[in-house]
Amino acid sequence: MLNFFKNRKKLVGMNSRNLRYIRPNNSKKAIRIADDKILSKKVLKKGGIPIPRLIAKISSHEDLDNFDWAKLPNSFALKPNRGFGGEGIIVVYGRKKGRPDAWVKADGSAVTIEDFKNHIQNILDGNFSLSSVPDTAFFEERLKLLKLFKPYTFKGIPDIRVIVYNKVPVMAMLRLPTKESGGKANLQQGAVGVGIDLATGVTTTAVQGKKSRIIEYVPNSRLGISGLAIPYWREILELAVKAQEISGLGFLGADVAIDKERGPVFLELNARPGLSIQVANLSGLKERLERVTGLKIKKLKRGVNVGMDLFGGEVEEEVEEISGRRVIGVVEKVKLTGRNAKEVEVEAKIDTGAEFTSIDIDLAKNLGFEKTIEAYESLDTDWDNLKNMTLKERESLFKEVPYLLDTAIIHSSHGTTYRPVVRISIVMDKKLITAKATIISRSHLKYPIIIGRKNLGRFLIDVNN
Amino acid sequence: MHTHYLIDYFVFQGVPQESVLLILMLPIVATLIAFFRQIFGIKAFGIYTPSIITFAFLAMEGEVGFKGIKYGVAIFISVILVGMATRYVLKKLRLLYLPRVAIILIVVAFSILAILVLGGSMQRTGLAAIPIFPLLIMIIIVEKFIAAQLEKGTKTAFILAIETLVISLVGYFIVSWEILSIFILKYPWAVLLTIPFNIFLGKWTGLRLSEYWRFREILKKMQ
Repeated sequence: MLNFFKNRKKLVGMNSRNLRYIRPNNSKKAIRIADDKILSKKVLKKGGIPIPRLIAKISSHEDLDNFDWAKLPNSFALKPNRGFGGEGIIVVYGRKKGRPDAWVKADGSAVTIEDFKNHIQNILDGNFSLSSVPDTAFFEERLKLLKLFKPYTFKGIPDIRVIVYNKVPVMAMLRLPTKESGGKANLQQGAVGVGIDLATGVTTTAVQGKKSRIIEYVPNSRLGISGLAIPYWREILELAVKAQEISGLGFLGADVAIDKERGPVFLELNARPGLSIQVANLSGLKERLERVTGLKIKKLKRGVNVGMDLFGGEVEEEVEEISGRRVIGVVEKVKLTGRNAKEVEVEAKIDTGAEFTSIDIDLAKNLGFEKTIEAYESLDTDWDNLKNMTLKERESLFKEVPYLLDTAIIHSSHGTTYRPVVRISIVMDKKLITAKATIISRSHLKYPIIIGRKNLGRFLIDVNN
Repeated sequence: MHTHYLIDYFVFQGVPQESVLLILMLPIVATLIAFFRQIFGIKAFGIYTPSIITFAFLAMEGEVGFKGIKYGVAIFISVILVGMATRYVLKKLRLLYLPRVAIILIVVAFSILAILVLGGSMQRTGLAAIPIFPLLIMIIIVEKFIAAQLEKGTKTAFILAIETLVISLVGYFIVSWEILSIFILKYPWAVLLTIPFNIFLGKWTGLRLSEYWRFREILKKMQ
């Protein structure tokens, strides 16, 4: 409880966001650019930042009457220029079969030119704009979803929000569209916000929706959210900082998406970034902003480095804490014990491609399975010979082998082999695993043991280690 | 009752004491709304709507006694509900903004008229006797609601409406608090204290009460 009130000093609330960060850092001129999407596009494009291509814009009823619908591509997004919170956006994915005047939305429903006309009239009339002033509608290129994100997303496309202050990225969040949010990447509408470790671009904790409920799995699935490494991480941070330099927004919420073909694409400048990013990261912005205040940073790359160094690196501990799993590398030191009480320390290869853990014959002997191997080798265990036997026949064949737990048929790149299985215990990263291990000659291989999927359930693997 | 000589002077010049008092109350109501926003995080529809409704409540009370507030709340809620329902029906017509709001206003106005007539026929004379000007104000409020609904969604607009009602009620009880009236008539300059208080509010950077709720998970879990 004491912590509860102490921690308030680490957070930025609405009052302090507006007074301390937005007012002094975001000039009227810069905010004007951010609130005008077409103008933002122009400014960002000029600065060399990749953006979704503008296809056409409609700024009056006259424009609408004269609009050439034939020039629209098969897929695109229609947006209100001064829209906010993802309202008033229509995205189509292709043309309706046999209908030259209709496109298809993500849910399969058709949108006709007539529907578009109605919607655009609403946009022109200011129904989706801040404070209902008349607005402009525009068509832009639809970004294509990265395969990596597919299982994490419901329709729509996820984006990455980066808060940039004083040329330093201070906090980031991945926003995943959900069913509740209707495929929009907006937390207010029920999207998922996932905290990101700034140094590595790996996801940590997550919250869903306006109520900021903490979640561990992608909604309606058993897919864990933490531990996902976002590709192009450094590029994304560099884009965010560059956008700050160009836009002049001192306190910026930069939205970047990743297109399947183009890579990172800058979506939107936000002059009033929301505060839920703190909940998604389970971390306060205030501390971070204060650490960055007053630093003199000239080069973009230096700003990115500072952000990565200051606000990253704790991902492993965090991930371990949240998932209850240990983070291990591709090769780990392990302690093995088998039949005899002898403890053998070796380096193990972590192999998610293998189902079972398997150990070298010599190592098995060392662990007290000499007799098992001896007895097993005295039998004719050639696969061609065994494959025609019934289960009963095989069982009786191996009945006499001591300490044999089981046998396993392993299909690998070397062909199919029949292997003895014994029980060993493995201590890896301070955790004890009791494993069934197949025995095979690994004398020509670098590591005398590989740990397979069956025994990796309590671990997460970081391939960079 | 002893009043400040300045107030006596105003009254002597022909300004009704009631008007002087209400004008002096306005800064207090405005400050109250700012306080609710900055410290509690209760937003309502800006500063105009809750203050005008506070005074509408007061005006209703003026004619029909304390019952006025009861009818005032009932009418406020009816306006919001009828407005919401009408907008829902109109949605399919896809009308432009102002004509749409105009139609909603018409429906709300007729509904309120029906309620008044119904009240009269059921011998609820208090309801029928509500003065017209605060009633009109209440009806017009539906535009604020529709605008909020468009911008922020039905749920948020509904919450904002309830927040507006709560602030207006608190405002009403403060303004109609007799001790405060007597105090202000005696020390009208005291109203100016709202200025430094608002400067304090305007510089306040602490968390709002509502944010303790919003950030509860992180407040609990951060080291």
